[in-house]
Amino acid sequence: MSLSESQLEVSPTPDEPKADDQPQSLEGLSPTKLAVRRFRKDRLSMIAFYVVAFVLVAAILAPIFTKIGIIDPISLNQDDKLIDPTLGGLPRGAAGGITWAHPLGIEPGTGRDVLSRLWYGVTFSLSISLAAAIVAIVVGTVLGIIAGFSGGLIDATVGRLIDLTLSFPQTLMLLALSSIFVAAIQQRTGLSTNPANAVYEIGVLGLFGWPAVARLIRGQVLSIREREFIEAAKLLGASPRRLYFKEILPNVWAPLLVSFTLITPQYVSAEAALSYLGVGIKPPTPTLGNILTDGVNYALTDFTYFLFPAIVIAVIVVSLNLFGDGVRDALDPKADR
Amino acid sequence: MASIAKRALAAAAVASMAATLAACGGGGSGDNSSAGDAAKSGSKGGTLYYYINKPVEHVDPQRVYVGRDISNLNRTVYRGLVSFPADTDPDVANKPVADLATDTGTKNADATQWKFTIKDGVKWQDGKQITCADFKYGASRAFATDVITGGPNYILSYLDVPEGSDGLPSYTGPYKSSAAGKAAFDKAITCSGNTITYNFKKPWPDFPLAVAALHMMDPYRQDKDQGDRSNYQIFSNGPYKLQGAWSKNKGATMVRNDQYDPSTDSTEIRKALPDEIVFDIGKSQETIADQLIADGGNDKFAVTGERVPSAYFARLTGAVADRAVNVQSPFVDYVLPNFKKMTNPKVREALAMAANTKGWIDAGGGSRAYAEAKSIVNPSVTGYQANPAFTAPASGDPAAAKKLLQEAGVTTPYPITFTYPKTDTADKQAAALQATWDKAGFKVSLDPQGDTYYDVIQKPSNGADVIWGGWGADWPSAITVTPPLFDSRPNLTKNSTGQDYGNYKSDTFNKIVDQAQSAADLGDQTKALQAADEQLGKDFAYIPLESQKFNFLRGSKVSGYNNTPASAMYPDLGPISLEK
Repeated sequence: MSLSESQLEVSPTPDEPKADDQPQSLEGLSPTKLAVRRFRKDRLSMIAFYVVAFVLVAAILAPIFTKIGIIDPISLNQDDKLIDPTLGGLPRGAAGGITWAHPLGIEPGTGRDVLSRLWYGVTFSLSISLAAAIVAIVVGTVLGIIAGFSGGLIDATVGRLIDLTLSFPQTLMLLALSSIFVAAIQQRTGLSTNPANAVYEIGVLGLFGWPAVARLIRGQVLSIREREFIEAAKLLGASPRRLYFKEILPNVWAPLLVSFTLITPQYVSAEAALSYLGVGIKPPTPTLGNILTDGVNYALTDFTYFLFPAIVIAVIVVSLNLFGDGVRDALDPKADR
Repeated sequence: MASIAKRALAAAAVASMAATLAACGGGGSGDNSSAGDAAKSGSKGGTLYYYINKPVEHVDPQRVYVGRDISNLNRTVYRGLVSFPADTDPDVANKPVADLATDTGTKNADATQWKFTIKDGVKWQDGKQITCADFKYGASRAFATDVITGGPNYILSYLDVPEGSDGLPSYTGPYKSSAAGKAAFDKAITCSGNTITYNFKKPWPDFPLAVAALHMMDPYRQDKDQGDRSNYQIFSNGPYKLQGAWSKNKGATMVRNDQYDPSTDSTEIRKALPDEIVFDIGKSQETIADQLIADGGNDKFAVTGERVPSAYFARLTGAVADRAVNVQSPFVDYVLPNFKKMTNPKVREALAMAANTKGWIDAGGGSRAYAEAKSIVNPSVTGYQANPAFTAPASGDPAAAKKLLQEAGVTTPYPITFTYPKTDTADKQAAALQATWDKAGFKVSLDPQGDTYYDVIQKPSNGADVIWGGWGADWPSAITVTPPLFDSRPNLTKNSTGQDYGNYKSDTFNKIVDQAQSAADLGDQTKALQAADEQLGKDFAYIPLESQKFNFLRGSKVSGYNNTPASAMYPDLGPISLEK
């Protein structure tokens, strides 16, 4: 398992902390090690962590599995033995056509394998959510540090920009402008429809997500900039660039990590909601939102087809949230829950 | 042309139903309970709700071209010289009866001249008499092809107005036209008292069918005309009038028009029993189906022209089944290659060869939702024959298509964009087409379009390679199918592709159309039209997908409910009434 990969964000080496369990070594532990230790003690967070790790690994494997033919989210199985053409293409058999070949049943009408589509859908949905979260974090951090450190006019300007962005009707913007902007992106970059949709969705989610991050970071920076090591760096003639990225940034990693783990699940649900409203990646490319949107139509006639994507979205969102909470508690034990 | 006995429906698919529309079953009757309802005599009163999903694009009589809207407006606000009676028997429903005119018209020996006399006492909603000048003005508007877009354009090729050097009529409508054009138009339609005379340059023996089937010959009051701004204005001469304005995204409420005199009308056409009719736009097909299945509140008094989504078929059981109809629609759905982009005939042939129409049908709901189609002409239309060009198996032949693409000498994957009206079902259907097209060596991008689908595809600049379309005969002759869809002369103008969304332009085809339109008898005309369809097949100007079947629900308090040929198999508002 590539657990270590995601654990990296929490601790540099997953194997090391074992030694930390010894009480006598309490002295001299780095804050990171302390945090990892606290995190590991929290059973719920650990479960969430394993789920998140599992989902990430699955998401990475989906394209590979598709390539070598283990899962197949695209091919249609419009066999009259599988779907019933007189009932609008409902799958035959119990629980949405669950068989060994199709462990989560098949899609009504097309006969596509639900497990394959969900699996691949996780990859697309997570890619979009993570990319959008990264955009929000990067923009928010840069602007937050600059605003917090510079103060004065720059701070005020960024502050108003934050207010402006927060007061903007984000969903409306996503909906109303999507066709115009997606067409513009296609023209400028030559991308086809779905990549352009993805760029647009990531861009808009990210560009509306940064203000929360920027506010948080600005607050941190306000207190950090008064500390002696900053004074010292300034006296030594450090450039603003060095101050921002070498002196301040390492000190805001913790809140950044927490924001990141808490924004990502928001974007997973946002993707689902936006698909329902017709924005974002379009079918037949599976995303969790696309599958759920279609599933909603079948909520009464093919319940399992609606249930599975709903469960997958719920599990991902809940575990990411619990994981993010755990990280926050571990990094900042004084904070209220 | 010889006279054609039956009629059919105005066409044009409804954008709202995405995957929509199909062929005409011409008169096919419902399989169920609705047929007998007409017999029950309804009582006056109540409010009828008509649920519509997507915005209606036009309610201007000279621009409306969607079967459902043509019928609804005929039964409520726009009377014609003649109209089709509300009857489920196609033989009755296809014979026009007098409406604003005193009879169904008289023609001269070769059917190049038609005369109608307008009834006394028929009035506009402001109490003024409907005059011959109003009819003449209405007909003139269709010539303003730069302003009055989207509507039927038969009148342009029939009315005796000389053509200019560009092949278009020299008369260009009431808003701006040369004096010569105006003079020619004034000679082509003449008024004498209450009698209006139409002069055609070629025989039009079934002209009354055209008048009844469409609103293009409807009267229009010149002082109410604001050109394009009149698109959502309704100035009524029927039993109802608008309360307030028609809102594109919300619809409108119609109330009784106190200037309407039922004694001038026929109950065969419209009984006008409900006191109010609410056109409620904006609910999704799914919401409409959910509400009508639940049958609560106002939904008891509701009808809809939105199909029941295939996901809901399994729920149409028990008492709900009694309120559901499954009827053959008069439409055929097809896709068009865009001739501006797919210029290589082998590429178009490959597209047809790899078209997975069975997949499209199955993904859209199977046999309850669609019947197979082998031509753009519906089997119910006189002279129908399967188009010999479409030899591919129903699920497509990607291997053969791949070979054709190689012969065409294009680089594969050959990128194409497929545009269609978006719904969840249509997305799956498009995926079925995409799968085999991709296998054949195309690289398909899907481009689902929202509310104003037809506005998008009618733009000459539309860049899609493959375009979805749906059409039904205006009356059951292929003369109302292939010529209006593919004759480039009336369709392709600077501002619009008309109904020729694929920019098809063929002199050979146009010549065959001329033959058909001037044919002396029906047999010759039919033969010419069959040749026209074959020519389209040779050019792969279209690929037939299916003929749609309609699945509609209605509320439990609706009586007199019928899907008649007069209403393009949509619910006919003529005889409808509400129980208390």
